[in-house]
Amino acid sequence: MNTKLIVHLRAHRKRARLTQAELASAVGVSRKTINTIENGVFTPSTILALTLAEELECSVHDLFELPNDPD
Amino acid sequence: MSVNPVSRARLFGSAAIVIATSAAIIAAFLSVGPSGLIWAAIIGSIAIGYAILSFILHPRYPDAADAAWDEQNSQAHRDSIVFGYWAVLAMFLVFLTLSLTSRIDPAVAFYWLGPVLSAVPPAHYLFSIARGRAE
Repeated sequence: MNTKLIVHLRAHRKRARLTQAELASAVGVSRKTINTIENGVFTPSTILALTLAEELECSVHDLFELPNDPD
Repeated sequence: MSVNPVSRARLFGSAAIVIATSAAIIAAFLSVGPSGLIWAAIIGSIAIGYAILSFILHPRYPDAADAAWDEQNSQAHRDSIVFGYWAVLAMFLVFLTLSLTSRIDPAVAFYWLGPVLSAVPPAHYLFSIARGRAE
């Protein structure tokens, strides 16, 4: 499976008025990891996705979504 | 560059090992500089120094250590170890062929596996940093 996620993390982070470094510190990862998740370079684990959603007070589905099936 | 002290130590430690090993290989090919034993001592001292520094930094900055070894950095580290394994295996086959065809002394070939083993994983990790896939 090689599906590229659609990521809305940046929008939710900005809505929460957090910098990448602040969000990274809050969830215990490096700033680079937040940066690569936002850019769709790195796909986080389920645990990290849930932690991010909890920190940003939204659901995982708000942060990440699968691309629409073209069929 | 990262402000995380554990990530910084890892970056400088990896870079120092790669630079020292590259210098040793170049010096050996050019037949200049200190003996292989001295180079081995230099590379080993850098590696041990980095290990001691890490041992000090991890308990002193536990949150930074967690962030430095988060899932993306751990993934990059695992990839570097896997790449190092295949690099050593490939070099072993090359040296085996050279040894069987009497083009290199088996003892020398064995010693040359050391630099490959020590420098390839950190070199791969530095490449991951340069690509923005690790810190």
